[in-house]
Amino acid sequence: MPRALWTGSLSFGLVNVPVNVVAAARDLDLHFRQLHAKDGAPIEVQRWCSKENVEIPWEEITHGYELDDGGQVIVSDLELQAIEPRRTRTIEIEQFVDLADVDPMYFDHPYFLVPGSEDDGTLRAYRLLSEVMRKTDRAALGRLVMRAKEYLAIVRHRDAALTLTTMLFAAEIRDTKGVDAAHQKSHQPAPKELDAAVAVIEELSSEWDPGKHKDRYRARLKRVVDQKRKGETIKVPEEGEPPEVPSDLMDALERTLQELQTGNGKARARSSS
Amino acid sequence: MARSIWNGTITFGLAAVPIKVYSAVEDRSIHFHQVHAKDGARVKQVRICSKEGKPVPYKQVEKGYQVRAGEYVMLTQEEIDAAAGEGSKVVVLDEFVRAAEIDPVYYNRSYYLGAGKDGQDAYRLLHDALERSERVGIGRWVFHNREYLVAVRPLDRVLALHTMRFSQELIKTDSLDMPTPSRKPNRREIEMAGKLVDSLHARFDPSAFHDSYSDRVLDLIKAKARGEEPDLPEAPEPPESQDLMAALEASLGAKG
Repeated sequence: MPRALWTGSLSFGLVNVPVNVVAAARDLDLHFRQLHAKDGAPIEVQRWCSKENVEIPWEEITHGYELDDGGQVIVSDLELQAIEPRRTRTIEIEQFVDLADVDPMYFDHPYFLVPGSEDDGTLRAYRLLSEVMRKTDRAALGRLVMRAKEYLAIVRHRDAALTLTTMLFAAEIRDTKGVDAAHQKSHQPAPKELDAAVAVIEELSSEWDPGKHKDRYRARLKRVVDQKRKGETIKVPEEGEPPEVPSDLMDALERTLQELQTGNGKARARSSS
Repeated sequence: MARSIWNGTITFGLAAVPIKVYSAVEDRSIHFHQVHAKDGARVKQVRICSKEGKPVPYKQVEKGYQVRAGEYVMLTQEEIDAAAGEGSKVVVLDEFVRAAEIDPVYYNRSYYLGAGKDGQDAYRLLHDALERSERVGIGRWVFHNREYLVAVRPLDRVLALHTMRFSQELIKTDSLDMPTPSRKPNRREIEMAGKLVDSLHARFDPSAFHDSYSDRVLDLIKAKARGEEPDLPEAPEPPESQDLMAALEASLGAKG
């Protein structure tokens, strides 16, 4: 069982299910350390006072908030601790919503909720909640206080387990005013253009198979590290040519369809290059 | 709307859509600077060479990848950037999948797309075609020298672009090794729990939730700016676990 990041209980109505929060995503990024170019020695970061120009110990560091008028308010750790959310050990389900109504944009970081003990009552309650949400395609909303931060969280059934995902607040999502989405009538596509575009999309359609998409960036970065280790020179790739923007959309769509349907793979080949 | 952060072209087949990318998410948390308590002066971070014990100017800093304890392969930023691949300004949508098939766990960061120069007609066409086909375009996007798997989908009147998690990044449920209960939940339990879910059912209204912690931090700052002293809240007791059926019944009873 993976390490618990949080332990507590999930409650709905008067039912309490002891649960642990565990990671559902792992960081596979390659991490680099800063080195001094001259001697390859690792860099250590020290905190210096910008006025006295000397290193200062952690205990002497506090938080400054810059006001609009240029002034500064100093806030101590103790004062911040005092307003921290109550360290509740309960995720109280406030409501159940239809999963389809929650735009994926709101989903932030994923975790799993696993039973907090092997006690049969706990396992049954966990299983029951999971079953009911699976059957109804509903998700539960509640709040989770983890690492002194309060999150809005959504709990749902996924792959035979309960998944908890922290959520963005509506205030964090920008409105789309000012985004030129060409919704004026003058940009409305002609029916035959729309039909052709839908036909191209249908031709290029497949089932969502997340496993087939590999992190090519990470693989290339590993290769770069390996080459450098062997003392090889790293070739910096040329800037690619931007694609021509066809002046006639309908013509581009028709040519695409023709190529896709006659198996002349140019349109597809270009796609997968 | 803030300025666009990327300009380029989306292609599907031989059709091309000039687009602009905007962030869809705004960090609303309250940020502090580190300051020296004694004199209120900003704290600056100084890079020190661990060998010489002296400050190193930023220009003399390179990146090191650790291959074994204390041994690094040193790379310049240009060499790391070379991993981005062809820095072309194109997002090729080479595959279209049913929007409903993608579990939300794959969506990572969100952006809005706007029509680029002379791209209005093509933008609207892609938007309307995706909407009608209920599909999402999948492609690759090079942003800040890193390649991402992305999904492009209609979101009301605009197109949204999302960077996607790779499935290798997601931990599989089998690895959780979860114990199973002695018996499955019975019909009556499922029925009761279903009723309880119904009684707590509401339409998702994102504006009903807001970050009360940020509000409290701002209140604290305002109070301190006025020279006031903040007060302390108290902690509650955690509830206890109990008999499942009794709890379900009691919950429904309590709901009336």
